[in-house]
Formats: sequence, C-alpha cells, structure tokens
Amino acid sequence: MTTVRRRGAARRQDASPGPQGLRVGSLTGWSGRTVTGAILLVFVVFFIVPLIWLLLAMTKSGGALVRQGPFSFGSWHDLVANWDQLTSFQDHAIGQWLFNSAFYSVAALVLTLVISIPAGYAMALTKFKGRRTLLVITLVVMLIPNTALVLPLFLEMNAVGLVNTALAVVLPYSFYPFGVYLAYIYFSSSIPGSLLEAARIDGAGELQVFVRIALPLAMPIIALVGFFNFVQNWNNYFLPFVMLPSSGKYPVQVGLSTLLSSTTAFNPSAAGSGSIELPTLALATVVSVLPVLIIFLFSQRFLVAGLTAGGTKG
Amino acid sequence: MTTLHEVAADPGLPGRPPRRRPSGSHVAGALFVAPYAVFLLVFGAAPTCYALYLAFTKSGQGFAGISNFSHVIGDFRFGPAVAHVSLYLLSWVIALVVLVVVLAIMVHSVGMRWLSGSLRFVYYLPGALAGASAVLLWLFVLDPSAGPAGPLLRALGYHTFSQTIHPTHLPYIFAIISFWTGAGGWILVMFGALNNISPDIIEAARIDGASRFQIAWRIQLPSLRKWIAYMVVLSLAAGTQLFVEPTLLSQASQSIVPNDYSINQLAYQYAFNLNDFNGSAAIAVLLLVVALALSALFVWRGGLFTTEER
Amino acid sequence: MHNPAASRHRSRFRAPVALAVVATFALAACSNSSASGGGKYGFKEAKQSSSAQITVWIDSTRQPAADAYKKANPNDPVKVVTYDGEANGSGSFKTKMNLYDKAGSGWPDVVFSSQNNDASWASQGTNGAQAYAAVLNKGLVPDNTLSGWSKGSLDACTVNGQVYCLRNDLAQDVLWYNKTLMDQFGYTVPKTWEDYQALGDKVAQDHPGYIIGAVGDTFAEEIYMWSSQCQANDVTGARAITINTSSTGCTQMAGLLDKEIANKSITTDSVFTPEFVKAYTGKVLMMPGPAWYAGAIFDNKTSLNVPAGQIGVAAPPSWGTNAPVTGDVGGGTWFISSHSKNLALATKFAEFVTTDDAYQVDQAPGYPAYASAGQKWIAKQQSSGYYATDLSAITTAGGEVWSGWGAPTFSQEAIWAKTMTPVITSGGSIASNLGKWQTAIADQAKVDGYTVSTK
Repeated sequence: MTTVRRRGAARRQDASPGPQGLRVGSLTGWSGRTVTGAILLVFVVFFIVPLIWLLLAMTKSGGALVRQGPFSFGSWHDLVANWDQLTSFQDHAIGQWLFNSAFYSVAALVLTLVISIPAGYAMALTKFKGRRTLLVITLVVMLIPNTALVLPLFLEMNAVGLVNTALAVVLPYSFYPFGVYLAYIYFSSSIPGSLLEAARIDGAGELQVFVRIALPLAMPIIALVGFFNFVQNWNNYFLPFVMLPSSGKYPVQVGLSTLLSSTTAFNPSAAGSGSIELPTLALATVVSVLPVLIIFLFSQRFLVAGLTAGGTKG
Repeated sequence: MTTLHEVAADPGLPGRPPRRRPSGSHVAGALFVAPYAVFLLVFGAAPTCYALYLAFTKSGQGFAGISNFSHVIGDFRFGPAVAHVSLYLLSWVIALVVLVVVLAIMVHSVGMRWLSGSLRFVYYLPGALAGASAVLLWLFVLDPSAGPAGPLLRALGYHTFSQTIHPTHLPYIFAIISFWTGAGGWILVMFGALNNISPDIIEAARIDGASRFQIAWRIQLPSLRKWIAYMVVLSLAAGTQLFVEPTLLSQASQSIVPNDYSINQLAYQYAFNLNDFNGSAAIAVLLLVVALALSALFVWRGGLFTTEER
Repeated sequence: MHNPAASRHRSRFRAPVALAVVATFALAACSNSSASGGGKYGFKEAKQSSSAQITVWIDSTRQPAADAYKKANPNDPVKVVTYDGEANGSGSFKTKMNLYDKAGSGWPDVVFSSQNNDASWASQGTNGAQAYAAVLNKGLVPDNTLSGWSKGSLDACTVNGQVYCLRNDLAQDVLWYNKTLMDQFGYTVPKTWEDYQALGDKVAQDHPGYIIGAVGDTFAEEIYMWSSQCQANDVTGARAITINTSSTGCTQMAGLLDKEIANKSITTDSVFTPEFVKAYTGKVLMMPGPAWYAGAIFDNKTSLNVPAGQIGVAAPPSWGTNAPVTGDVGGGTWFISSHSKNLALATKFAEFVTTDDAYQVDQAPGYPAYASAGQKWIAKQQSSGYYATDLSAITTAGGEVWSGWGAPTFSQEAIWAKTMTPVITSGGSIASNLGKWQTAIADQAKVDGYTVSTK
C-alpha cells in the first residue's frame, strides 16, 4: 500500500505545477537527473582514472609510457622487465620493505586489538573509578592526529634505546584511542546489560563474561577496528621515517621515497645503472598498496554497508 | 552512529529499577582498561609532557621561558610555512564541505542500489592509497608528458612538470591529493547519516511540493551538520600536520619545493638539521595546541559525543 | 787491523742510542694522538673487528663504483644502500647522521655526497656527539695516497688542517661547444663573457632555436655566478659569510642572463628534463658547464647523444681582461665514519672508488680528482675520438676555480632552487630579483649560525 501511495504521490508531483514559489531551482525531472548524473560521472573519472592509469603504466616500458596513449596496455614482457628492475634495486630491498610493513602492521594490529577491545568493553559495560575521566580523555585525544607527537616520542623511544627497532613503531601504532572509542560505542549499544547480568548471576567471573559472551558478539567491531588500524599503520610515513633511519628497517612507504630519489625522471642527477624508470616506480606504488587494496576489495560489501549500516533504523 | 547513541541512552522500560552492577566488576573493569591506560600514559601523556618540558627549557640551561617559541616564530621560514599550510587547509576543507555533501546527497538520490553501492565503492577506493603512495601517483598525474592528465595540463598552459608544481600551485595540489584520498570515506559517512533521516519526513515534504533541491537544503543538510562539523575538525587537525606530500615533492622537484615547506617539516629540520630539539618541541607544542583546541571545542560544543549517564 | 776493544766500545754505545731514538718516536706518536682527541688516527675509534660488514651509502649514479668494487673484491662484506646522495642540497645526509648521533648507533661506514660542503658540518660534533667524519690525514689514509689528489681538490674536505673526506671528481666549469655547428655557422668560440653575450644575440637573430646555455638547473648559479666572481657565497670564517649580490660580478652576469633568456638563446629548461632533450637535441651550439657534462649530457644515449667528433672544450669565459676564473658544480665527496667498526675495510672501499682505474678511469662520467686517474681519464677520453678538440682546457680550468665562493654548512643549490628557479621558469628577471636572492641566502645563513656581512 505504501509503495502505491508513494508512486502515486510522485506522479502527482510531476504532473501538477504545485504552489508557486516552491519550484525555485527544481531539480526534478530529466534535467535534474542529467546534472546529477554528469556530476557523479565527473567524479567517478576523477577518482578512478589515476588508479586505472597506474595499473596500466606498470605494464609499459619507459619509452612506451611517453609514446603510447595513457590508457593502452603495455606488454607482459615490459611488466616482467619492470618487476626485475624493481626487485634488483638495492638487492631486493622491496621485499625487505614489504616484509617490514607487514610485520609492523600486523604486530601492531594484534596488540591494538588486545588493548583496545577490552578497554572499550570495560568503559561501556563495567564500572570503575575514573571511567568518565578516561572516556573524556579518550575523546579528546582521539581527534589529535598521530603525527603530532612524533618528535617528542622519538626522544622518549631514544631514551630507552628503542630507536631503529621494530618496537619503536609497533608500540606507538598500538595506542589507538579511536579504536577504543569505536569499541565503547559498539559495546554500549549492541550488548544488552541484561545478558551479562544473567551470566554474572549464574556465577561466571568477569573474565568469563567477557570472553564467553561479549567477545563472540563483538566480531564486527573487532573487524572494523582491526581494519582501520591496519590501514593506518600500513600507510603511516612520518613516524617510521623518524624512528627507523636505516634502510633495512623501512616500511614500504618510506622505501618508496628511496625509489623516488633514484628515479631519473624526478631526480635527474640520479642517472646511472642503479636508477629506476617511471613504470617501475608505478609498479612499486602498486605493490606498496596491494595488501590494503586487496582488503578494500574483499571487504567492500562490509565496508560500504557497514559504515552506513549504523544509520538504518529498525 | 547517532542512532546507536540513542539506543545506548535508552534507560530501559519504565517501572524497572535502575540497573545495578555487582561491585566485583570494579576491579575487573580497571584491569581490562589497564593496558590501554598504560599506553595512554606512555604514548599520549608522556610525550606531551616531554614536549612541553623541552619547549620551555633550553638544553643545558634550564628554564627558558618563551624564548624557544619566539625563536621559532621569528625564523624566516615559519611565516611562509604557516601561510602554506593555511592555504592548503582552506582549499581542502572548502572542497570537502562543498563536494562531499553534494556528492553524498547525489549518491543518496540514486535509486538503484547496485549503482549507489558501486559509486560509493569507486569514491572510497582511493582511500587505500593514503600517504606516500598517493603522492607518488599524483606526481605521475601532474607530469604533462607522462601522466593521464597530459592534454588537460597542456591546455592549462603547463608543459613541464616544474611548471605544474610551481610553488604558487602547491597548496591546491596538496588539497587535491588530500581530497582524492579522503573524500570517499566521508561520503560513506554522510551517506549513512542521510539514511538516518526518516523517509516519512522526505515523503511529507515531497507531497507538499518541495523540489529535490529544497529537500536537500532544508532537510538533508541540517541533519548532516554534526557530521560536517566532525569532518571539518578532523581535517583541520590532520591537515596542520602536513609532512609526507611536501617531503616527497621536495625529492621530486630538485628542491624547488624546499624541505621546510610545511610546519611539521620545519619541526623536523629544527630537530635533525639544526640539532635544536627545544625549538622543534616548541613547534610541536604549537601544532598540538591547535589540534587540542579543535578537539576540545568539538567534544564540548559539538554534542555528537555527549557522554551519557551510565 | 781490527781493534776488539774499540768495536766493543762502539757496540756498547749503539744500544742506548737506538733506545733513545725509539723512545723519541714513541713519545711523538703518543703526544700526537692525545693532542687530536685520542685514538691513533686522530679520533676515538669504535671497537674494531676485521670481519665486520660495512654499509655504504651511495646515490644511484655511483652504482657502477660499488659494482666495480664488488667485482674486484667479491668476498668483502659490503652492503650497499641507495639514498638521494644529497642531490640539490636536500640535507638528508646531515639529518640522518644527526638521527644516528641521537640514537648512538647505526651510522653507515662510507657515505657519498654529491655536494662538496658537507665537511663543514661532518667535521664538527654537536651536543657532545663525536664528529661523524673520520680524520683521514692522520694516518687512516696514507700520506702518499692523499698527496695523489689534484692540487686544491681536497680543499673542500679540509677543515683546520684536517682532511675529512676524499674528493670524487673535479667539476670545474668549462665551455663545451659543438665545433661542427660553430664551424658551420662561421662563429668563433668566445673568450670573454662579453663575446659570449654578443654571440647569443647573433644566434638569436640568425639561428633561432639554437642555444648557447641553460639556466634551468638548481646549480645554474655555480656555473654562471661563480665564474663571474659574484660575491654571494664569500665564506670568510668558520661561521662568517659575506653576501653581496649587488656586486659587479652578480649584476653583470644577471644582466647577461636576462638578455639572452629573453632572446631565447639561453634556455630555462633543466638539462636533465625530457623537454630539454626533445627541444634541443642537435641544437646545442655551446654550453658552459662542469666537466661531468661529458658523460652526463653529451656522450649519453638518454640525453643529447651528440655524435662523435662534434663536441669540443674551450677555456671558460671571463669578464673583459680579468684573469680567467671559473666555477665548480659539485664534485662529490666520500666520507668514512669515525664510528666504523671496520675502518680498514671502509678505507679500502673509499680508496678504491676514488683512485682505482676500474671505476675512475674506465667508468666515471666526470674528471677524477685523483691526479693520476684524472690524467688517464683525459687521455682515454681524447683517444676515444669522441671529442673534436683536445681536453686540455679541462685540466687548465681545474686550477682556475675561484676561491671567493666557499662551502658553508647550508646549500646554495637549495636556496637557488627555492628562490630563483621559480622566478626563472616563470619568466621573471634575475637582475631585479638579486635582492630577493640576497635575503634568502642571508636568512638561511643566520639560521645556520653564520654572522652575515654585506661588504
């Protein structure tokens, strides 16, 4: 019935001119849809064309990149050649860098979840002294970008001799107040206190309540916090740039700047047998975001729906 | 998230006694939160205090008043760095506010779910490339001879890379890069907030004869206000920390973009070129104050994160 | 006749004398090391291990040097790391070493820098940290090796009489020209900047599209301003500098450049860009530039790729009847870390890449600073038949580098890139922006702790 009524209403609106003065700047009808469609299309081009170009660029040779059109496929042979050039740079440095990125991000991810999920649970569903203060501090700190404290953090890490070690990045990555806040919101809204109450009355200890009841229900938020944290860790530049001065410890993002400095097209004085061509740099860029890109692609339904699901009522 | 909050604030059915928690959970709660509290102390509070300490002292000379601050602010590079970052922030935030809202409303108005979902996904995808990878990609895009935007750039009169990245263009280039990576996520968030609006209200407005534009302006936009404010605050706080983009561009432009273009780069130079950690801390404190002020302003006035009574 | 008593007497005498001589030497050695901060080479060494791996930082242009070493010494534990080589004064060498100083460990054992002003900071320890650069002339590198460098080439590496780095190549500016084109057009090679300007005017009129120079690079000031004796970088003391960009040297050259840029006989493109290669292949009449233009620009397939027998070298121009002086663009320096755990291997590597024929004569793109390698390099280039003239102008110019342009701790290239290159590429006038250049240098100098005077 509702649907029929809606359709009827729409038809009525299109047909009748309506009261004067309410049609100012009307965007109904085909012209409105055309404008909307055009704008949406323009931005599809804006967002997607650079990515498509990047994927095609890595299949070309340096010369082909300049000669051929931007949206032509190169050749598998050129792709392999670019891959060889990339891996032979500085003795397979790219492999070391990718491993570093993975290690730092995953280690920090695990640590973040271990710290943040129980904390969010505790702030939402238990009572302890200082809970409100901690919550307020978390809210305030969470909006501060993580690059704000890199330099004093460096001195702090330096004082305990951790600079140039993996811990110097893994530990700061694991401090993730935004994750705590997300967990807090989730636990306070999705888990009825009565459930936990019942378990407690049955004689379960606090740890059992958390592990047996809250945690299984918290899978969505664990995934969400994990996802955000992993992506943020993987893409972080400033912190590892300062904390890990040695090339062998670079995550792949910082390694990209070494590759850039050896690319003749951008750093012309870097001409030599060790220099990198543009398509190889493009390949390196793709390789550097591949894990995150794959995760995006696989979790797209969850992400695109999940970030917006919180809004649907009922 | 607003809906979750409303649910969370629900005190339960009337007539029921208020929920009581067994006192045993005091200790457990504190234990669960302890590791986080430790991290908050070590990686949040301690560096902040250390930064304050460094900013107000001089190595080997004890308390130095505001001399570090005046020294840093008087540096000939400080003013330009602030100008660069401010211009970047202005262009970026304006683009975000205008375009994200317009795009979110437009995507929301798309009837077919598969199309709406695909659009949202396409807009969100660049977010995977945040950081150095996005900058590298845009270095290619900005190159008139090798990039995909070659004809467009040449039509604008830029025939060489150095013409495209002329210092006067930089704030807008950085804004474009930041918009490209960040807009998608915000479009998703706005889309979710738009889903919150009861369809009945929109229905009623349509029956009254309101045009799509008026619905957008009078109903959808006001409901997005909190989220727009959240987006502005987060972007401002993040944008002041500009570092990756000018650092990589400095490498790629043969130092035409200097290594002290942004405030954070200047802090880095103070720390590791001039060996002046006190000056560097002064800059970090200034940036921190800005970020904290924005954050506190939002938490207290924004109202989105009202701490409910539990 | 043999006198046993006398010989016994003499032998009894010899022992104490020998002892005294040994004692004197020992004392001298001891006092030497204590006077220069401990350690037998003039700096405090880390604990040495003869099998420790060394880490070498190079830019990608020096990759052939590292490869040549690895080929000659395949069993030496050498790890090669690529970085930007301090290109255009990026400062990454200095900031990374400071990072390591703060951390107290991790320094690379050998570092190549494309700039030649790094000894000014690498020779000083800051905030209690030991200076990064090892002292080389107190025994680490044998004296007879050090004396093999061309006269004056180690000046940029010498601070207070101590040598802190080894110069890679001499990059003195000379006047490269295309003899075939010059003969074809009937021009003579200019000997003065005035003649150079006149030639530019003629070329603009008769053969538009041909160029006599390029100012789009960040080192343009090291070609034109330095050779013109412009007082923009007059380092007068450890932390004192005189900057006067309104001196005649600067204003004369600025006027010349503005005029020739306007009539397009000097291009504002950087010589390393594909746009330059595309527009000017076959159209470069002449180009004042450093010795390394040889392998980097002319005899380079990916650059101008000028055919053999066309390129010649002439002495750099000078103003009027002034004595010939010229500038210098880089020349690169190799540093050995004072914190190295394997000084022997680090020194062996640094000596190889700077003196060994396998790299410096056979593969180096520029004129080696090590004198004998330099002579062989010149001979090799001349015998290759690529050049239309002999290369003696390069050797002569080596001794004419103007000493009025110093090597401060900050980078002139970075300042020019930040301040003047945007002006040039957007069509602005160099002459009317000399004040802006002056302020930029003075500001940076003050930030780096220099006292600036303008006279």
